[in-house]
Amino acid sequence: MTRPWRVAVSGHSMEPALREGDWLLMLPPRRTPRRGDVVLFRDPRERDRLLLKRVAAVRDGACVVEGDHVGHSTADSRHFGAIPASDVIARAAFRYAPLRRFGPLRG
Amino acid sequence: MFARLLKPSVIAHAHCDIPCGIYDPTPAKIAADTVAKMVEKIDALDKNATDLTTRGNFVRMISVKEQHAEIVKKELQVLWSDYFKPEHVQKFPKLHETFWNALKLASKNKQNVDAKAAADLQAAVKEISDIFWATKK
Repeated sequence: MTRPWRVAVSGHSMEPALREGDWLLMLPPRRTPRRGDVVLFRDPRERDRLLLKRVAAVRDGACVVEGDHVGHSTADSRHFGAIPASDVIARAAFRYAPLRRFGPLRG
Repeated sequence: MFARLLKPSVIAHAHCDIPCGIYDPTPAKIAADTVAKMVEKIDALDKNATDLTTRGNFVRMISVKEQHAEIVKKELQVLWSDYFKPEHVQKFPKLHETFWNALKLASKNKQNVDAKAAADLQAAVKEISDIFWATKK
């Protein structure tokens, strides 16, 4: 798969920062992801599926990724453990739709 | 028109695996117990009674039995496909066979009024329940 440049958010685990239906522009990942980055990575359990979560911690080349919406995010490191930083495909940079929430995404 | 051009082709999942990791074999057990109870009550009906009350009860019990057999199937399918993971299969090599057998028994109980099949279904659900709780230890 080539690196996706635009993605559509599906699901509620990143609320309130990201909502279902948001359209995002993505940037290449940092060499080492930073805590607070919203990153796109392959689901370790299902490699064709791309997940979007926030980096909660980084150590020794592994990222702990978690949804923002506590209690509504189980498809994250609480479930499958830390992911290798090399699995991160992109990081979310900008929301271009809906227009009323248009703007850069803060880490 | 612009929206179509701008629409991303890639979906990024920010999903919770609803129901947020809450799995429990108890609903399947209650449904299996209900099936067995209905079979018992149907068997106890006077087979020669033609009054409307008895006929109504018969139809109702058959209906409840079939609904609850279907609930057993649905509840077990959720556990099978969503809760159990490959490492559980390694630990319990007969897991798939156990589920397959239990689901077939649930279908058999939908089709028949059979005390033996109902008891077998209860036993199969209990076996799955025991495995489930063993994975929680």
